[in-house]
Amino acid sequence: MLHRNIVCMAALFVLLTGFVKPRNFMMGNEKKWLISESSSLSVNGTTNINKFACDIPAYDQTDTLTLSRGNKEIILSGDIRLKIQSFDCHNSIMTHDLRKTLKEKEFPRLHIRFLSLSDIPELTIKPAMITGFVDIELAGAAKRFQVNYQVSIDAQKNIHLLGSRDINFSDFNLIPPRKLGGMIKTNDKLSVAFHLKMKALN
Amino acid sequence: MKKIIVSGFITGCILFVFSYGGLYLAVKYFPSLFTEYFNPLFNSDGSRDVLFYMHAFIFSFALSWFWDRFKALFKGVFILRGIEFGLVYSVIALLPVMWISFSALDITVAMVSSWFIYGLIQATVAGMVFAKLNP
Repeated sequence: MLHRNIVCMAALFVLLTGFVKPRNFMMGNEKKWLISESSSLSVNGTTNINKFACDIPAYDQTDTLTLSRGNKEIILSGDIRLKIQSFDCHNSIMTHDLRKTLKEKEFPRLHIRFLSLSDIPELTIKPAMITGFVDIELAGAAKRFQVNYQVSIDAQKNIHLLGSRDINFSDFNLIPPRKLGGMIKTNDKLSVAFHLKMKALN
Repeated sequence: MKKIIVSGFITGCILFVFSYGGLYLAVKYFPSLFTEYFNPLFNSDGSRDVLFYMHAFIFSFALSWFWDRFKALFKGVFILRGIEFGLVYSVIALLPVMWISFSALDITVAMVSSWFIYGLIQATVAGMVFAKLNP
């Protein structure tokens, strides 16, 4: 009797789960990439008197990105949370000003959430050009962007994901810094580029 | 009183054009002098722009009263009276303020010197206008 119940339960389990398509798969399984600490992000902008370049030279966490095939698209899931305090504009005064503009005290982290890729990247030394969507959350406001990516792999099997995108201060309800009654002002547009250096986990 | 207000207002208008016009041209042609203003010490969100542009009038009304009170001490042609007035204002008011600003704030000698020279020129121009309008 017990044996029969077990067989029935096993059959029921197969019936209930057998027709459910695996949510994420890619050639049978998903790929996991471990983000290394040598990943970086840079922001370039202009004012009416000069240009500035600020960067976060190293990522202080170890996170993973997961690449899998969804129903209609390639899913790239995972996120990175960067400390606003880590921004360095190579000029202490400008660094402080940028952190203040980005409301570091209220919102100490810049959050990039990866969503999708346009194609399965070919991992070769020559960079493959693809696009993808990300959600960027900055100063308490989030916005979805399409990002241009270059994906490649080097001789040490490090995967390089370079993403770039122009964003605006106003996309995040931020006011570009303006000084002396607006005689000195920062332009709204910022060019953001990030370089994720990763290792495949499987 | 009427002379103080009228000459203060006219001088304010002249200083407005002179000061902000000069500042605009300085930013345009000598941009490197202004990079230090990207500093959290300076207001960035535009909320105080009206106050910033009112400065020429606050300055001219205050100096107009000062001129009316002490104009007898400034002698000679209007240019000399203006220069002496500018120097007196700079030594009495500007120098101590610039001194304390530099000692307390994270600003450079170049920045504080430029403020001193800017104020000296403004007061000198104001003195010349007062010497003509309220001799």
